[in-house]
Amino acid sequence: MILLCILSIPLLFTLAPFFVKELRSLGRLNAIGHLAVLVAVFYFALTTTLPVKFFDFFYVDALSVFFLFVISVVTFAASLFSIDYINEDASSGFISERKAKLYYVLFNFFSFSMLLVPMVSNLGMVWVGIELTTLASAFLVGFYNNKTSIEAAWKYIIICSVGIIFALLGTTIFYYAVSQAAAKTLNWHEIVPLAKNLDANTVKIAFLFILVGYGTKAGIAPMHTWLPDAHSQAISPVSAMLSGVLLKTAIYAILRFSIITNACVGVDFTSNLFILFGIISLIISCGFILVQKRIKRFLAYSSIEHIGVIVTGLGFGGLGAYGALLHIFNHAVTKSFMFFGAARVVKKYKKDNLNVIKGVLSAMPFCGVMLVLGMFAISGMPPFSIFFSELFILISGFSQGRYFISGLFLALLAVIFGAIVYHLSRILFGKKPESLKPGSEALSTKLSFLFLLIFMCLVGIKVPVFLNKIILAALEILKGVSHGL
Amino acid sequence: MHNYIFLISILLVTYYMVIVKRLPALVGGFRLQSLFLFFITVSFAFSEKESALYIVAGLIFLLKVILIPSFLTGITKKIKVNENLGLFLNPQLSIFIVLLLTYLSYLFTFKMMSFADKMQSVTFALTLCVTLTGLFMMIFRLKAITQIIGLMVMENGLFLLAVTMCKGMPFLVEISIFLDVFISVIILGIFVYRINTLFTHIDVNKLTNLRG
Repeated sequence: MILLCILSIPLLFTLAPFFVKELRSLGRLNAIGHLAVLVAVFYFALTTTLPVKFFDFFYVDALSVFFLFVISVVTFAASLFSIDYINEDASSGFISERKAKLYYVLFNFFSFSMLLVPMVSNLGMVWVGIELTTLASAFLVGFYNNKTSIEAAWKYIIICSVGIIFALLGTTIFYYAVSQAAAKTLNWHEIVPLAKNLDANTVKIAFLFILVGYGTKAGIAPMHTWLPDAHSQAISPVSAMLSGVLLKTAIYAILRFSIITNACVGVDFTSNLFILFGIISLIISCGFILVQKRIKRFLAYSSIEHIGVIVTGLGFGGLGAYGALLHIFNHAVTKSFMFFGAARVVKKYKKDNLNVIKGVLSAMPFCGVMLVLGMFAISGMPPFSIFFSELFILISGFSQGRYFISGLFLALLAVIFGAIVYHLSRILFGKKPESLKPGSEALSTKLSFLFLLIFMCLVGIKVPVFLNKIILAALEILKGVSHGL
Repeated sequence: MHNYIFLISILLVTYYMVIVKRLPALVGGFRLQSLFLFFITVSFAFSEKESALYIVAGLIFLLKVILIPSFLTGITKKIKVNENLGLFLNPQLSIFIVLLLTYLSYLFTFKMMSFADKMQSVTFALTLCVTLTGLFMMIFRLKAITQIIGLMVMENGLFLLAVTMCKGMPFLVEISIFLDVFISVIILGIFVYRINTLFTHIDVNKLTNLRG
């Protein structure tokens, strides 16, 4: 029943803007709602024996709980960050009060659709959920309704829809394979035991369509072209959600299919594909990160890089898969953190060009410090969490004797590290423009930064018992994806 | 036998949609394609005695034959857009490429997939061909509305696959997919309005503010 609570909170909160007049209290209420979701997910994970199954519609196991946890952490942080951000937008007349309220409606609908994806048991409904996330977020990408944001939203919805149609094609072929094996079901927990009876060739082709289709949504290169536009044009708290968790819901869908595929044709097929696409994503994002001029676009390309890291880790399997799951969490937290920082900077300077912004540290002391920490965290320096998940993936690569791939992986990460530090240190240091007065942030904004920072540091020092337990349980389910721990 | 006739008709309508030059004709082509999809669904519902398929057929008729085409026509009228499609490739070249796609789909089906039934091979190839043609239309036509239609054509291809090979998806899934498709068309329509008011055109090849 807790699960229904988790789903119904965001759904109920889509109505909140019609009852609460004042914008700031609406924001606070929204944050409290998402805190409740986070607590509920936490409580559910601690108290319930998994898997939980009801209505023949929901099926939640450790893998789902892991994704639910990631989603609820990031949405809570984003809702906290939104309070002041939206309020400022509205009070400066940038958006109307009405539109600000619309934001909260869409925000909740978006988080609802993302929370739905890991819960449903039916592969067709997973597809529906992922299409819903696109539809819900399209308006948030085109929120400012100017030329660039509408263009980004159009590209986003068109490219993702095409991708997702290929995913549906893959799902249909899967369903055909299953119905050939004399079972009329799309519930994945019912398909897994049957997987051995499926026609290997059909399943392989279906998985290719799935990987290309959901891969588009996950931002795997070369299907990533919508991503930099959408992430840079979306309203900033939503950019954080897009980068932090939307991409991961698509990864979740790919994982579900790969479990079945592996059970049917063995791990090598998916594992090689994952490594191939992972490395391509790293190479492409590396090139674009080097030459970026705009801060949010630069962060968007960095998301493609991290998706590449995750997918490569999944390809390695074993310790690599553990690293990949941990990286999903770490990247979600750290990238949201960075988007928040970038959002504050863009708002203060009214510019987003990396060549023009100077002296963030002196103009915005709090944000500046946060960005320095974030810069090292996102580029993979110890003691922050991303370092460790990338290390796990590398260790697993080398220990399997994949020297060339692992070496390439390491080299690309090193180049990207340099690029990130170079770009961000240019804006952080230097002399601030005379006209800008140093200012501080609202309490809720500070809290959203600190909330994420705790996770970034904590996981870096020691993976919390709770998180470790879910990830290990999720790996157990992924067995088959991985070469065994 | 009549199933083959419907399949061939769908293929021919798809070719027709590739060579037309004006928007109303394209929307008409889509309506016709959906109509044949409706026929084939009814025919399968009858021969397989699947009552759920009748409802699916009804939804296809309601949404894809009536509502979506009228909605698209409504938009074109309202924003007073130039009815010329603006082709990147002329009809001759387009039809040549689509014929090539058809051949490739057949090649793919017969080399890669192993169907026991000949009917299934044919429908799979056809589905692939219709889906790819939809993609082709999305890439090589200028107007935003043609991209919506291209998307719908791709989806028609998929429904064809689901109906003919799997006797329809599980019922709940099928209904949700229909709902999703309908919502996405409406949202895309809203964005076409916005593009038109902001840019005073709906030529997607001129949307080039975001690069690199």
